[in-house]
Amino acid sequence: MDIPVIRSVMKSGRSSGLSHKSKEILTIILFLLPAVALFCVFIVWPIIRSIYFSTFDWNGLGPAVKNVGIDNYKRILTDKIFLKSLGNGLLIVLFSLTLQLPISLALAIMVGRDLPGRAFFRTIFFLPYVLSEVITAIIWLGLFNPDPDRGLINAILMLIPGVKAQAFLGDTHMVLGCIFVVLTWKYFGLHMLLYMAGLQNIPRELEEAALIDGANRWQMVRYITIPLLGPTIRTTIQLSVLGSLTQFPLVWIMTKGGPVNASEVMATYMYRYGFIRFWLGYGTAVALVMLLICLVFSIAYLRLVRQPDYLGGM
Amino acid sequence: MSRKICILLSLVLIAAFALSACGPKATPTAAPATEAPATEVPATEAPATAAPEPVTINWYHITTAENQKAVWQKLADEYMAAHPNVTINITVMENEAFKTKLATLMQSGEPPDIFQSWGGGTMNAYADAGLLKDITANLDADGGAWRNTFSPGALGVYAYKGLNYGAPWDMGMVGVWYNKTLFAQAGIANPPTTWTELIADVKALKAAGITPIATGAGDKWPTAFIYEYLATRICGQAGFVAAATRTGSFTDPCFVEAGKKLVELVDLGAFQDGFLGATWGDEATLMGNGKAAMDVMGQWAPGAYNDNSPDKKGIGDALGFFAFPAVEGGAGGAADGVGGGNGFALGKNASPEAVDFVKYLTRAESQVQCAAAGFCVPVVKGGEAGLTDPLLKLVQQGAQAAQYFQLYYDQYLPPAMGSVVNDTVQAIAAKALTPEQGAQAIEDSAKTEIK
Amino acid sequence: MATVALPQRRHKKINVPRIIQYIVLSIITVLMVTPIVILIFGSLKTSGEMYSRPYTVPNPVHWENWIKVLTQSTFWNMLRNSLVVMISVTAIVLFICSLAAFVFARLKFKGKSVAFNFLTLGLMFPITVAIMPVYLVIRDMKLTDSLLAVILVQSAFNISGNLIILTGFFKAIPTELQDAAYIDGCTSFDFFWRILLPLARPGLSAVAALTMIVSWNDLLTPLVLVDRDTLWTLPLGTMQFQGQYGQDLALVAAFVTISALPMVIFYLFAEKQIVSGLTAGALKG
Repeated sequence: MDIPVIRSVMKSGRSSGLSHKSKEILTIILFLLPAVALFCVFIVWPIIRSIYFSTFDWNGLGPAVKNVGIDNYKRILTDKIFLKSLGNGLLIVLFSLTLQLPISLALAIMVGRDLPGRAFFRTIFFLPYVLSEVITAIIWLGLFNPDPDRGLINAILMLIPGVKAQAFLGDTHMVLGCIFVVLTWKYFGLHMLLYMAGLQNIPRELEEAALIDGANRWQMVRYITIPLLGPTIRTTIQLSVLGSLTQFPLVWIMTKGGPVNASEVMATYMYRYGFIRFWLGYGTAVALVMLLICLVFSIAYLRLVRQPDYLGGM
Repeated sequence: MSRKICILLSLVLIAAFALSACGPKATPTAAPATEAPATEVPATEAPATAAPEPVTINWYHITTAENQKAVWQKLADEYMAAHPNVTINITVMENEAFKTKLATLMQSGEPPDIFQSWGGGTMNAYADAGLLKDITANLDADGGAWRNTFSPGALGVYAYKGLNYGAPWDMGMVGVWYNKTLFAQAGIANPPTTWTELIADVKALKAAGITPIATGAGDKWPTAFIYEYLATRICGQAGFVAAATRTGSFTDPCFVEAGKKLVELVDLGAFQDGFLGATWGDEATLMGNGKAAMDVMGQWAPGAYNDNSPDKKGIGDALGFFAFPAVEGGAGGAADGVGGGNGFALGKNASPEAVDFVKYLTRAESQVQCAAAGFCVPVVKGGEAGLTDPLLKLVQQGAQAAQYFQLYYDQYLPPAMGSVVNDTVQAIAAKALTPEQGAQAIEDSAKTEIK
Repeated sequence: MATVALPQRRHKKINVPRIIQYIVLSIITVLMVTPIVILIFGSLKTSGEMYSRPYTVPNPVHWENWIKVLTQSTFWNMLRNSLVVMISVTAIVLFICSLAAFVFARLKFKGKSVAFNFLTLGLMFPITVAIMPVYLVIRDMKLTDSLLAVILVQSAFNISGNLIILTGFFKAIPTELQDAAYIDGCTSFDFFWRILLPLARPGLSAVAALTMIVSWNDLLTPLVLVDRDTLWTLPLGTMQFQGQYGQDLALVAAFVTISALPMVIFYLFAEKQIVSGLTAGALKG
């Protein structure tokens, strides 16, 4: 049901200067103004400036003089290493969606409702998110250390007979998986928090009614809780994908995208080529390509998941 | 419960405000120099007019360790006491954070007055953009009074196209640090002087179950040192200079040979497990805990080994140093050095007082102090009096004696190329690129970057 | 109300036995907590011990690092700066995003999805590359070397993610409430202020918690926008113990552990709000 519909039905006898429609428009503008203003100054304008610089061969010092048009973009799209970084990013997205989110959801449901001691678990699971990414990377660098005397994971592995110490971050096959473990460890709490908050919106009556009607808990979760968590799930998926694609500090500090680009993601690629190599024009172009990829995903995703929400809303 | 949390919160807030209010005010914070200022101070040639105007100097440096930071602060305080119109604002940052901060300051066109520099390609880029102050005249004044105090090789690192933009305060050499005890265990009597001997020693160490060489290929630059020394030994000065000035090429056989020798080490298992993901910190920890026999590293190594060991003593007397071995048949001299150091660069807006202050920071007396605090290998005549560590003295003598002294490739070459060298060395060590392909990658980068 | 098709047969009520739940939760707890415990242990050791015996319980416990951090006046100064920035940013973000989320969740207008996608751009433009042009903007506004600059920039960059979250939560509030309110003569703003916001408390608390943490841990923005070390925030403080060629890990660990404590306290507080939940009664009313 639309507000304008109700409103026009109820309009009888209410006159208040402005028509309801324009009052509504005024509301919209006023409410959006602060966000849009701040946004335009600090995000949109820098993006526009970046678009300008991305067409230059420029080292970041002094004025940009050497315009190369879309050369930077052509180079990006044909660079094997960039494509590899894109692939790695997509792999991380895939792992997040299939592993991280479902586990967060399951645990949120477990600790969101009547489990004695759930407050304790909730706090513990959220703790990793409280640490900064820099510190997380440093801690896990230590944990993954190939020397069993210094790396806890290897120390534990060595207890299993016949298993050798692994190189983890030094092994091109394992490194991306290791990074994913760290990402999961850190961001798990975020998704859980959001699901927990979302669970609060689901009326207990519905769940209890289902149980009374003879559903077991699994069915209740599957047919009621999860569908009603729809909006929240969609939110976490969107955040997770965008976060995975733009991830930087964790990967950079742990592996710098190596060894030999095995854990390269778009953001580390951008940092190395843009800042370390002083190719600022090129680096900015990479950032804009990243932005484009994220934007395409966002738009497509929102189109795709436009479903009615069971509890109402648009 | 939530009430208790509210109270706790308020307590934290109140504590924060209260305690921050009783702390000392902003820098310059340290008490004025308690010792009498050194006698050289009044002799600086700053043209003091009748009523000197107040001048502020912004100085960014990266010496974060407490006792070392104090040396710089003391020197600044002494200078300010002798020149009351000068205020020196010091900002101390960690290395990586400093590079980020500097990048934004440079991009905005307002460089700091005095800042940390490693010279070479990065500094040259700043010079090209007109962001640095030319101090050639200051160095040449009075028949070159200031210039002649420096070791020429070190000063040259901060020069570009015949003009000087900075002054060095530390210049050391990369060499091989080794554990005498572990060598003895493997039955090695003397450190190797040739490549053949080194290979034999590596094999002996492997046989004794000892990790021969620690390296941080994850950080890339430590392993690049090995490659750079091999290239320096095999190509010699002529070979490298030719390639760098584009009369030769980085695909010349000598560079390929350097890559092959690096692979030789990898194939022998000379490096520790997981070296491809190891950081410099891991490397230092291995050495500091006596778990690796050798480390190709610069003059800061002993300090790091000590820091990364349980009792802060590292391997104590078991630590030794020898120059990188000669490579038979190589065109380079056995005394050629690869290394680098630290210096101060001056921003384009630096005042004459800032230049004068840098002069103060680089007098022999200042150098003695930083050498005594253990964080510089002096470049000024007379500074070495502060060096007490016999190993560091060895390093300093080696650096002075080198006929040809090569700045680390990733500093010397344009930044983009330096990054390619590091990435390529890691790839060669990982066998993802053959030595030939690696050489080609470096050459391709040279074609784009060196004009 | 929603209608859901349920199988008609009576199933035996299978509750995943509590014991299995606890086992799973305990395993996960261990996995989650171990790295943090190692950090805390590390802060109570000397640096050397951290390197050579990283996983043992500290014995004896070395409080020097903690004392060193807490007695440094710069620490309290940085703590204060971090608090000022964090509280300001959280307040601004909550305010701005709830206004905007209301519009996207509840009101209808042409070009809504375009506007929404536009405002989510902030998530797609990483701060690492944005910081350069942003610095130039701040410089043009003559705000360099001020906490205000940090507050504004952090607020701007926290809009996108929180907008997505809040819009989701606002959408979940039933329209019946809104219809009822309008019939009773509420304006949009009244509805927003008196009814929606209180109901959305879990969502708002979640946003507050997340924003607080992001702001508290942000290193890049204050690094670039602030020069004077009297204005440094806590993340910049870890730099003091990290050097060009090595770092004093135990001190860093102590500093980080202490810096994280206020965050944990704030989270506990916010979490209470998140879990309270008031919808049970509202629907019936």
